[in-house]
Amino acid sequence: MKRIAVPGRASPPPPAAEPGVWRRLGRSPAARISLAVIVFYLLLAAWGCSGWELPDWRTVNYARAYQGPSPAHPFGTDIHGRDVLAKTVIGARTALTVAFLASVLAVAIGLILGLLAGYLGGAVDGIITWVYSTLESVPYYLLILAFAFVLQDRSINLWGMEFRLEGINAVYLALGLTGWVGLCRLIRGEVIKRREGEYVLAARSLGASPLRVMFRHLAPNVLHVVIVTFTLGFVSYIHAEVVLSFLGLGAKEVPSWGVMIDESKLELARGVWWQLLAASLAIFGISLALHVFGDALRDALDPRTRGTKR
Amino acid sequence: MKESLRIEGLRISFPSPSGELVRAVEDAGLTVPPATALGLVGESGCGKTLTGLAVLRLLPPAARLERGRIFLGETDLSELTEAEMRAVRGEQVAMIFQEPMTSLNPVYRVGDQVVEAIRAHRRLSFASARHLALDLLDRVGIRRPRERYQAYPHQLSGGQRQRVMIATALSCSPRFLIADEPTTALDVTVQARILELIASLRERERMGILLITHDLGIVAGETDRVAVMYLGRMVEEGATRDVFARPLHPYARALLRSVPRLGQGRRRLEAIRGNVPTPALRPSGCPFHPRCPLMIPVCRREIPPLKVYESGHRCACFRAGEEAT
Repeated sequence: MKRIAVPGRASPPPPAAEPGVWRRLGRSPAARISLAVIVFYLLLAAWGCSGWELPDWRTVNYARAYQGPSPAHPFGTDIHGRDVLAKTVIGARTALTVAFLASVLAVAIGLILGLLAGYLGGAVDGIITWVYSTLESVPYYLLILAFAFVLQDRSINLWGMEFRLEGINAVYLALGLTGWVGLCRLIRGEVIKRREGEYVLAARSLGASPLRVMFRHLAPNVLHVVIVTFTLGFVSYIHAEVVLSFLGLGAKEVPSWGVMIDESKLELARGVWWQLLAASLAIFGISLALHVFGDALRDALDPRTRGTKR
Repeated sequence: MKESLRIEGLRISFPSPSGELVRAVEDAGLTVPPATALGLVGESGCGKTLTGLAVLRLLPPAARLERGRIFLGETDLSELTEAEMRAVRGEQVAMIFQEPMTSLNPVYRVGDQVVEAIRAHRRLSFASARHLALDLLDRVGIRRPRERYQAYPHQLSGGQRQRVMIATALSCSPRFLIADEPTTALDVTVQARILELIASLRERERMGILLITHDLGIVAGETDRVAVMYLGRMVEEGATRDVFARPLHPYARALLRSVPRLGQGRRRLEAIRGNVPTPALRPSGCPFHPRCPLMIPVCRREIPPLKVYESGHRCACFRAGEEAT
């Protein structure tokens, strides 16, 4: 096949690529610092998961119960004489694992249902909208509590494998099964906005099936919503894990920031404040970092703010 | 005429707020023989685009295909299942649209979009599909296809984007191409090059082309046959040469007169009196009668049938070929 001759001069070189998302993120010092904090927490959690040279939080030694902060124990010890700093570090593992698994579950459900509802419309949309409106009408923590209660100590049979939902497993399942609502609604809206778009029509005119249109053409276009929701949702899952553990529905036999705060209820009366401080500081640090980073990410990903100097 | 694209008795309606159906396309029919370009002209809202979309069964959800059959060769497209129809789209009949900016997915590199179009129909490895995509980009006249492959749609000019669209449409060598106002969004010099490209497809790839446009200049230059639509009806159809030399329908004649010409002096440009009625207020009888200079009483009562005049030139008018006095 011969090339079709085009008269005219040589085409100009392609325009310089506009700065990428990372470049735009990097411009803001707040984003850089918060990212460093998040990475620090992730490393702590990864350390906790690897089990390598973990700080000792198990050894019970009543001889050194309720010791104040000292060089050997920067955040003192608890009622059993265990190191509070070590518990806080393991608590990061608990919180981040729960938040990560819950986020993945919620994003998967929210994205798939949102795409289906938005693109297919009709009865599918009606059913999905009804389900999430119902879930949304129940106050958030009440809903998680209900789910956690129901799921607690239940065993489920998945493809012949038994899973026993105890402690932390029930928590992330409960969080994931309730957390998809917001994302689903956002995705549904974004998809409705885009489904009549010409590139969707163009893809269909080339023979793309509905699933192909949804997952190959529409999903990448709504990914910025997913990323921002993931980041901001992460914070609320960390909080939810703390709340559930505080109420005794979450972590058992593993340190959790929620359990630590629960324990400090009794300790404060005795003037033991360091466990509360350690857990609160840990939660404060990750929440603030994720919020700041999520905001910066939203600004960087939102095409409407592109090209503006900030 | 065996492998032509044929539309018969097409009727498309939209439900109006009051619940009754408003006919946007009424009894439209046309035939695109292979390796022929047919121009479908008419003013905005006369049902040209709907006719094109109906061929691929991609009408907007609210539209209702009430009647009509669409044949591709011997196959009746209206009887295919949705899955069979997907195999037709892109493989047999492809479509390109007016706005090349929004027809390309903004998040994919343009080369990958061509690959995507290829792989939607053919089981090819990514590498060989990529090879084919580069070849296609080259064939539609994109210079340095290797570099352009990596570009995102917003980095390309309108003309380049339309070329990429054409490359995706060509990816499975369809037998027919529906081009819905392919050059309306482009400036005039780019327009000419894109039209040149489309014309070359007809010759080199033996592709039948349905060119939907409101630009009579494009029709004169690029088509073999032309069909004129008015308010969802075909009013005239024939070889482009004949229609331009001797338009039979008063509407077609008025349209041709309203095109400015170089060297016609400082004459006032003729316009068609009145406005296009909305489809909801379709006049009785001949849809053109309220604006027609040749109107006689029968036009108000009866719809003129599409009659054949010499050499396949068809026209729906009781006073076809008569001049206004």
